[in-house]
Amino acid sequence: MFLAVLLALATSGLLILARIILGQTTYDRILATNSLGTIIVLAISVHGYFIGRPEFVDIAIVYALINFIGTIAVLSLFDNGTLGDKFGDKKE
Amino acid sequence: MKNNDNENLETQENPILRISAKILFTPIILFGLYVQFHGDFGPGGGFQAGVIIASAFILYSLIFGLRKGHELLPPKFNFFLLVMGAFIYGFVGLTTVLMGEPYLSYNVLGSTKQSGQHIGILLVEFGVGLTVSNVMIALFNAFAGFNFKKIKK
Repeated sequence: MFLAVLLALATSGLLILARIILGQTTYDRILATNSLGTIIVLAISVHGYFIGRPEFVDIAIVYALINFIGTIAVLSLFDNGTLGDKFGDKKE
Repeated sequence: MKNNDNENLETQENPILRISAKILFTPIILFGLYVQFHGDFGPGGGFQAGVIIASAFILYSLIFGLRKGHELLPPKFNFFLLVMGAFIYGFVGLTTVLMGEPYLSYNVLGSTKQSGQHIGILLVEFGVGLTVSNVMIALFNAFAGFNFKKIKK
């Protein structure tokens, strides 16, 4: 059963990969990358149970976290051109 | 809601991001501590825990601004902790040397071999975690606080 789920996840991952490569706009690509991260989180958890090591869920949680923060960072960079404040505008 | 003095960027005023960052901040640090102190039994250890704890602070700086991040963890304190982590690592190693064993041989630290190993690994991993998390935060601060306008002039 786990194998079937893993194969389904691999298929959807490949489809999302196609969207990342073909994607028309940058935002399509960012959204697809985020979705691929979600697929990988699911795949890590299922794979952990598949080979009998449920500790892999920890790694999946970390992956989800980094995925979330990474997406926010990339979007913020695209929107603002900087990750921090507008330090240069102010005289301190 | 927009500040007139334009201190915040547009992304940093998004209520969804602000509230999700507030909700996530504590659980991330808790999970980092779990990875830190549970590293002997599951996947984890000082390096991974350091990165996870740093990611909480990076998320905070990303969403509430670098200034608020500096208020939360002042750069001087950041550098102090960075050095302290390496110091703890070296100190544990030198303690075993002073007790007449090679560098970082944990066996002599406790009353039995096992407890010595346990204490040594816990202390060394704590130092590693402290250093890694603070190096990550310092790197983020250095890159995010980069002033592009000064370069252009």
